[in-house]
Amino acid sequence: PNIVLFSGSSHHDLSQRVADRLGLELGKVVTKKFSNQETSVEIGESVRGEDVYIIQSGCGEINDNLMELLIMINACKIASSSRVTAVIPCFPYARQDKKDKKGAVERWSRAPISAKLVANMLSVAGADHIITMDLHASQIQGFFDIPVDNLYAEPAVLQWIKENILEWKNCIIVSPDAGGAKRVTSIADRLNVEFALIHKERKKANEVDRMVLVGDVKDRVAILVDDMADTCGTICHAADKLVSAGATKVYAILTHGIFSGPAISRINNAAFEAVVVTNTIPQEEKMKHCPKIQFIDISMILAEAIRRTHNGESVSYLFSHVPL
Amino acid sequence: MFCVPSTETGAIMNITKGGLVLFSANSNSSCMELSKRIAERLGVEMGKVQVYQEPNRETRVQIQESVRGKDVFIIQTVSKDVNTTIMELLIMVYACKTSCAKSIIGVIPYFPYSKQCKMRKRGSIVSKLLASMMCKAGLTHLITMDLHQKEIQGFFNIPVDNLRASPFLLQYIQEEIPDYRNAVIVAKSPASAKRAQSFAERLRLGIAVIHGEAQDAESDMVDGRHSPPTAKNVAAIHRSLEIPMLIPKEKPPITVVGDVGGRIAIIVDDIIDDVDSFLAAAETLKERGAYKIFVMATHGLLSSDAPRLIEESAIDEVVVTNTIPHEIQKLQCPKIKTVDISMILSEAIRRIHNGESMSYLFRNIGLDD
Repeated sequence: PNIVLFSGSSHHDLSQRVADRLGLELGKVVTKKFSNQETSVEIGESVRGEDVYIIQSGCGEINDNLMELLIMINACKIASSSRVTAVIPCFPYARQDKKDKKGAVERWSRAPISAKLVANMLSVAGADHIITMDLHASQIQGFFDIPVDNLYAEPAVLQWIKENILEWKNCIIVSPDAGGAKRVTSIADRLNVEFALIHKERKKANEVDRMVLVGDVKDRVAILVDDMADTCGTICHAADKLVSAGATKVYAILTHGIFSGPAISRINNAAFEAVVVTNTIPQEEKMKHCPKIQFIDISMILAEAIRRTHNGESVSYLFSHVPL
Repeated sequence: MFCVPSTETGAIMNITKGGLVLFSANSNSSCMELSKRIAERLGVEMGKVQVYQEPNRETRVQIQESVRGKDVFIIQTVSKDVNTTIMELLIMVYACKTSCAKSIIGVIPYFPYSKQCKMRKRGSIVSKLLASMMCKAGLTHLITMDLHQKEIQGFFNIPVDNLRASPFLLQYIQEEIPDYRNAVIVAKSPASAKRAQSFAERLRLGIAVIHGEAQDAESDMVDGRHSPPTAKNVAAIHRSLEIPMLIPKEKPPITVVGDVGGRIAIIVDDIIDDVDSFLAAAETLKERGAYKIFVMATHGLLSSDAPRLIEESAIDEVVVTNTIPHEIQKLQCPKIKTVDISMILSEAIRRIHNGESMSYLFRNIGLDD
């Protein structure tokens, strides 16, 4: 079977980069909406017996994009393709991965596990394989009964740090919350530098959370690392905390830059040297409004994963290395 | 801690709904301690059932009372022989299903294989497999405690109630450690920092994180460096790639982030099984000036010679709950203390049987716990 690459409408730039890297044309597909807002998909070329890859990121109009992806998968499936792989750089609803969530009033434990629902929907639509990147919790792989390749942006992040932060040997990697400590230590170990973490502490009841920095950042370059940034409240507070603790410069590196709500203005007002994200989500528009945002291109990781999957080669090399 | 109506006055089971049967699926009688306590608190008799191994080592289950149309609660604590424990449970669940039980609720305080909940390289996600097997056998609801990762709830297609032991452990700290105000909560690895933070927040104490123990996660041999593979001659779409030399990851020295000098160190974790990493952490904490070291964990597996190692170590006390029987280990090591959590399990059973809300059992529990 030959490889056929389709792009959903969420992130055309990334799909084009992947296609260029693979030396392929993007497959012809027309996605549009009926006047009643229903999504319509027309696959413009034969997929019979082919190995189909559909690139769609969970960003922007999340529900529309998800629905479009499901319809595209189903369209290819019923058009007798031999295998359909959904390439989802940023997995939608990944943060709703457990039953307990903090509600507006109190903590409650009847939250839906929407990530599982999305997993079921993808499988039911006909996906045979999922390729994604930096899942919010890697346990989401277990929500599927089909193979899921969870790629890491970490090798690309390490490369970026070494190439763009001159003083990286004197830096300290900081986690903005206790939950991210493991991710941060992995990067700190690979750079052979120390790490610190910030945790929230409530000294008295009914008092606002106070951020406490554990570890020494004085006279060092602090690099905040997390898997995603949405409204950026936490990382901007963390940046202030790091500056007041004596960090010389503060960078933030995040895999998925969602940047919704007040995120852009918060970043503009915060003490960041740069906020670095990957292009799992389109960033051009946000970069216009915020010069501090930079992006790391991860299209070659996706492209290489697609190529290796198609050829039936091992993918695990990509977990620790950036393909050339 | 929970205002449970005492058995004489209050906790009357709603018999009109078909009633409730409580079974223990353990063949090993030492594992039945917890089920007995739960039955006592609920004021019901344990259901009559025989679970035993046949001479050919197969498990056989004989249910000796009617379960038709009833809510069946099957309590299973994990014994040394974990795979047998799983088979016993699955066979019992299936037996109840084929005997027309109205609902089959598994009460598995410690969910086995919960550490194998992520895919590493091309390994299996065993927790998911186990979840699928349980659903397939006919389980309709699961009550468990302190899952290694809360996301495991999503592996099931049935409701899962993940109860927390932390209120009991916190109570122990506040009541049994005299100078707990001078303590610092320690995560023995970055992975448990979240849990440490949730304890620290509720006790209003500081935290420290230890890092640098031998981590095996990244040490697997890297393969797939040559694409296309050298042996097979697969036509690649792209030009073949030149791969740079792999720089081996340096094992970092043990570091403690946060100050423990002159303080009581309380290491918190969810499972204490192999104690080597706890001992190494305790040594490091002693060196950094901690004058007393406690270890708090929900599940005390304490396998192989853990009791002896703890007895000889710098750890002053190991506090675990009775989700897993550990009477033998306690005889070998008086440093091991037990906190009883049968109350929250029996209350969960009562509420589920009566169709009441469970959220009361989750109050005062942080998001990170």
